[in-house]
Amino acid sequence: MKKSKFKANGTAEKEFVFEFKAGKNNCVLKVPLQFPVQLNISDLHGRLMLLHKIPCYIEDELKASLSNFIGKETTLDCDREAELALQRLSTGEVDVNQLTSFWARSYAETTLEHAWPEEPSWDEDFADVYHELIHSPASDTLLNLEHNYFVSISELISERDMEIKKLQERQAAEMDKVMHELGNTLSDHDVNAVASQHFDAQQVLENKWASELKQVTGIQKQEYQEWVIKLHQDLQKSHNSSKINEEIKVQPSQLSEAADSGTRIFEEQPLLEESFTIHLGAQLKTMHNLRLVRADVLDFCKHRRHSSSGAKLRRLQTALSLYSSSLCGLVLLVDNRVNSYSGIKREFATVAKECTDFHFLSLEEQLEEVQQVVLYARAQRSSKQKDQSEIQKNGGDDKSKTVERNPSNILPGEFYISRHSNLSEVHVVFHLCVDDNLRSGNITARDPAIMGLRNILKVCCTHDITTVTIPLLLVHDMSEEMTIPWCLKRAELVFKCVKGFMMEMASWDGGVSRTVQFLVPKTISEEMFYQLSNMLPQIFRVSSTLTLTSKH
Amino acid sequence: MKALRDAELGAFTFFASALPHDVCGSNGLPLTPNSIKILGRFQILKTITHPRLCQYVDISRGKHERLIVVAEHYSRNVGDFRQGQTASSEKVLQIAYEVLEGLEFMNKHGLVHRALSPNNVLMDCKGNVKLAKFGLYHMTDQGADVDFPIGNPSYLAPEVIAQGSFHPSDPSCDEAPLPSGPKTDIWSLGILLFELCAGRRVLQNIEISDKLKFILTLGCMDDIVTVLAEEHGCLEIIKELPENVVELLRKCLTFLPSKRPTPAELLGDPVFDGISCHYTPFQKPVCLFSSSLRCAHLELPDDIGDLCKDDDEDYMSERGIDEVYHLWCLAGGDLEKELINKEIIQSKPSVCTLPKYVLEDGESFGQGRDRSFLLDDTTVTLSLCQLRNRLKDVAGEAYYPLLEDEQSSLPQSNSSNELSATVTLPLIIRERDTEYQLIRIILFDRLLKGYPYKKNLVWKEARVDIPPLVRGLAWAALLGIEGDIQARYDGIDKDTPIPTDRQIEVDIPRCHQYDELLSSPQGHIKFRRVLKAWVVSHPDLVYWQGLDSLCAPFLYLNFNNEALAYACMSAFIPKYLYNFFLKDNSHVIQEYLTVFSQMIGFHDPELSNHLNEIGFIPDLYAIPWFLTMFTHVFPLHKIFHLWDTLLLGSSSFPFCIGVAILQQLRDRLLANGFNECILLFSDLPEIDIERCVRESINLFRWTPKSTTYRQYAQPTKAGGEGIFGKTATYFSSDYQDMAKTDLSREPLTLCDLKAEVSPRISAEDLIDLCELLLGGPPKRNKSGKPKIVAVDIRNVEDFGRGHVSGSINIPFNSVFGPDGELVQCPATGVLQNYRGRVIVIVSHAVKSAALFAAHLVKVNFPRVCILDGGISKLNPTGLLTVPSPQI
Repeated sequence: MKKSKFKANGTAEKEFVFEFKAGKNNCVLKVPLQFPVQLNISDLHGRLMLLHKIPCYIEDELKASLSNFIGKETTLDCDREAELALQRLSTGEVDVNQLTSFWARSYAETTLEHAWPEEPSWDEDFADVYHELIHSPASDTLLNLEHNYFVSISELISERDMEIKKLQERQAAEMDKVMHELGNTLSDHDVNAVASQHFDAQQVLENKWASELKQVTGIQKQEYQEWVIKLHQDLQKSHNSSKINEEIKVQPSQLSEAADSGTRIFEEQPLLEESFTIHLGAQLKTMHNLRLVRADVLDFCKHRRHSSSGAKLRRLQTALSLYSSSLCGLVLLVDNRVNSYSGIKREFATVAKECTDFHFLSLEEQLEEVQQVVLYARAQRSSKQKDQSEIQKNGGDDKSKTVERNPSNILPGEFYISRHSNLSEVHVVFHLCVDDNLRSGNITARDPAIMGLRNILKVCCTHDITTVTIPLLLVHDMSEEMTIPWCLKRAELVFKCVKGFMMEMASWDGGVSRTVQFLVPKTISEEMFYQLSNMLPQIFRVSSTLTLTSKH
Repeated sequence: MKALRDAELGAFTFFASALPHDVCGSNGLPLTPNSIKILGRFQILKTITHPRLCQYVDISRGKHERLIVVAEHYSRNVGDFRQGQTASSEKVLQIAYEVLEGLEFMNKHGLVHRALSPNNVLMDCKGNVKLAKFGLYHMTDQGADVDFPIGNPSYLAPEVIAQGSFHPSDPSCDEAPLPSGPKTDIWSLGILLFELCAGRRVLQNIEISDKLKFILTLGCMDDIVTVLAEEHGCLEIIKELPENVVELLRKCLTFLPSKRPTPAELLGDPVFDGISCHYTPFQKPVCLFSSSLRCAHLELPDDIGDLCKDDDEDYMSERGIDEVYHLWCLAGGDLEKELINKEIIQSKPSVCTLPKYVLEDGESFGQGRDRSFLLDDTTVTLSLCQLRNRLKDVAGEAYYPLLEDEQSSLPQSNSSNELSATVTLPLIIRERDTEYQLIRIILFDRLLKGYPYKKNLVWKEARVDIPPLVRGLAWAALLGIEGDIQARYDGIDKDTPIPTDRQIEVDIPRCHQYDELLSSPQGHIKFRRVLKAWVVSHPDLVYWQGLDSLCAPFLYLNFNNEALAYACMSAFIPKYLYNFFLKDNSHVIQEYLTVFSQMIGFHDPELSNHLNEIGFIPDLYAIPWFLTMFTHVFPLHKIFHLWDTLLLGSSSFPFCIGVAILQQLRDRLLANGFNECILLFSDLPEIDIERCVRESINLFRWTPKSTTYRQYAQPTKAGGEGIFGKTATYFSSDYQDMAKTDLSREPLTLCDLKAEVSPRISAEDLIDLCELLLGGPPKRNKSGKPKIVAVDIRNVEDFGRGHVSGSINIPFNSVFGPDGELVQCPATGVLQNYRGRVIVIVSHAVKSAALFAAHLVKVNFPRVCILDGGISKLNPTGLLTVPSPQI
């Protein structure tokens, strides 16, 4: 009665046969059905009734018989598939050991009950302890301690700078003398010898200081962490807070003296900034804050003395949110090498070293790790590409060639991330790789740098970075070719792309309110700044200002 | 939904598997996150109600694809029961039977448990079985949307093991295994029963891979029960079991699925002969809209007093689980916090989990595997203490309000004063007030149970507010849905392809997709079916873009009841959007927009003058407003509040909403020119919806109903409202519903209509509002009606020969100069005094009245309308008065 034809992908067509009497006529209804049945049975039933004009008195009977048929056939299919699978095992087509080890692995990797126990992680324990302390009355003490360490480091640094300066002066004088004698008693060879001797001396001095700094920061970090843990234990042990209060009081007195003796005070630069509130989304709108700031990118990183206004509050804010779910990020534009030898990378590294990072690895160590990860990622990629290389062989693949040249370099649009606890307003730095194309006027929304921004915003979504600072013009310094039209064009592109990405973000994270800061170099004119700040509300629909009018 | 009784609320959490970065679906749109897929598939589980199954209540999405499921929960399970001792054979049979009942019911709804294990077989305080987590396999799309395998390794059926574990990251198996059938649960049940009989755990302390291997080797054995017993050293115990228990174990632990019975087969098996007689088959309660009698199975005990015997005063536990959960949330319940407190959710600080390096295509590296993403399937009990504490002052009577007493709709109790104070608070606050919502939900629940008999009361209470939990049914009641909607819906062919399919397919992924429910694949399927059903069942109308938005609120509210969504939509469209979906709908829309622009002039002449001046006509912005009844411009939560009121008003209420929206943007519109206005409306700014509702009600009160007369509106219904028809009030009834008389408005051609700035009012309305009819009812609610003044612009002589009583005479030429400016004279002073009232211009010819009205609007006089047909209309009525000569 039932025929069934099998198809390759496991679906089969079966015929449902239903017989009924209408008056004196014997009627037969035959319906071909696809198995497994995806349709809704009552829909199917309704359609059959309608299509074949089936009398209503057999409505219920048809429905029962239809669902019976489908149920029975589905069970049969199920059984057959199941027994096929069992058969494959018994015939050895599938290896039992492999199969069970797959099962074991998927249990071990995904369920807590069967997972391998986790070794306790110092980082996370410390994170918990710190987060608890910084949200307690002890926060003041912590900050003061951190600041004291900062002061001692900056003293060391100024000492270093002084010594290097002295050395350089001495060497310059010496060199002058040598140059005087050049051609008389001394030859070029001698000059070179002196020069290299000077260079070596400088190197030695710098290395000496570098190792000393490293040692001091190492000691500071250890002391600090031990102290934090101890403080936490004490707090837990004794619930009376009198003892802690004493400790808290001791610190500031030391601090004020230290602060007075400080010599390297950063001047608060007059900033230009403007803030906007926007709503994004067609029907459901999410509120975001935008800010246009004219400042140096490192202003967000530089540590300032507590004596300067607001610096301590800002420091406290950064410390409070370090292990929270509202982090601050900064986009730094770098070249394709993962190091800190030149340009903005070097400047950033200098700033990052001005204060000991008590929580994370030092920048150098982090960069080393990144370098390892880059090599690993390249290896992964190339092995994956090898599988597909047959398909894409014909295309002139520029990218893969550059990678082959030096796998440790990164490509435009890629970025690496470093974490910091010691920068003034930033926890996370995205080092976005850009190339010289960005200096030319005509980049498009498909430019790697723009795609990099998109990925940065995506990481912001997945990792609770609620404030992110982006260089609006995608450069840190202005140069001559960057004319007013160039700036306007670039700003428009970045504004529009970021707007698009922010709208996309709403679907990634369900619409979390964020702050995006657009940074323009300090060297642009005030007039230019206001031109840009006029452009912003035109591109982002700025929400209406609250108008307070008397009710009429 | 079933009552809470002795159950608790439980929550457990898991992660959906993450999507590969930046992959698009076949339609070019981004892929739907797995958590949303699960959320959509979950919904149907809320309708699975059976005494042997733990009721699913809610699901919510957290950060990073986390899902939290709330369900009925009991702290005891079969696993505890088994500690140490073996269970008696009666108990084993009882458990087996009850589990099978649950499984059979699930199978009927196309569900397979797959995760059956002692932890998931809960026991209520009477010792009855409640299956938990029975929907996990279904909601995760047979495990495809999560990383973890579903089921406990010791209880997996051999064929499940043989079909392999499907792991998305696993390159070796590229094809998902076929879904498991109902028989896999029977094997798990067998193992579970064996453990109960033997009094020990099967395959404990063995590596998972060895466990699974052992289960697979059982295929070569003749007598699996004996082998298992030998393996666990309990042969003696098993041998002493009664024959029928051993038989049951054998049947369950049949290696080959084809020989193993299904739950339904096993339920009818003779081994249960002694026990099945204690159980009556579960009867599904009849739902509100069905062809059968709702009270058919109602059996009152012989002594009515039995009903109120248990006087333990825990009235809250008699409420539905979903209600209790809803109130729990209102009383400050926070799922995530509860789970964090029990250390089920342990998240690392995000700064510690950052990746180190990200490629251009978004793939990230250097991110350690986070242990907090592992599955911990512990169910946490949600404490109801806070809620009970919150509701401890609510008197028992509040749970059973008396509906027949017309005087007090709110129950009289200690807190009733407080409640009547709550009514005056803003809606947003009321919706979050636990006691208030409790009272409202109970009241609506009872009223809806009495629907359609209690239709009038539903209308009355809906005017106060509609509790969000019952909004779907309340709207259905307001729309007058009746009859067997399911059968009607089933009878519509939703499968055969039609030409509109392509457009529907394009529109659905763009309709209210910020919402989790509507963006889920299940949501899309339901969208498609409801829309198709509507298109197919209305052959005279067509699908216009916008119908999808219109469908969205109904589908959202009745996600598990497509038939009701369809019925509501089918009832809504003729009422508010009559003939808007004609193939050629231009005449309908044009007339509608013209009336709208008259309404702007009527209520806000200054704005209207400005908009007309810059040429910003309603055609440019208002078509999507009215065609979708604002569903295209507002997010769902705002639509709900707007429609709560819209559904109470007549078909002309939308005009008032439109004017109210314009008024909210008034300052910006007045300050801007054409281009800025277009830009402003292309992305409508945030609108304060509560204010909008309040203002549109006010505008509606000031609108005489004949002014919104449209000749293409829905004609008078023939039958009327039926026996439970609501009592028509001035505002809820449509002008079109009234009987047409000589005094009613005459249809106008579109160009005539367009030529007039002010709307016309019918003579009938004028008589009614001026209360000219002497024999009419005494002045009842004068405040409810707009204040009105008739301005007669005929010359003094004509006025003297007869005029509307109470009207003032201002001859046309006396007030306006040649350029239409207002001349300073006593007449204008009088006119100014009446500013703010509805001014009806009465004259011989409508033309001069229209001109007069246009002049008035020009000088910003609000609420100006003209008498349709002029004074001659009133002549036959004999209502005109002749003033007595002045002395």
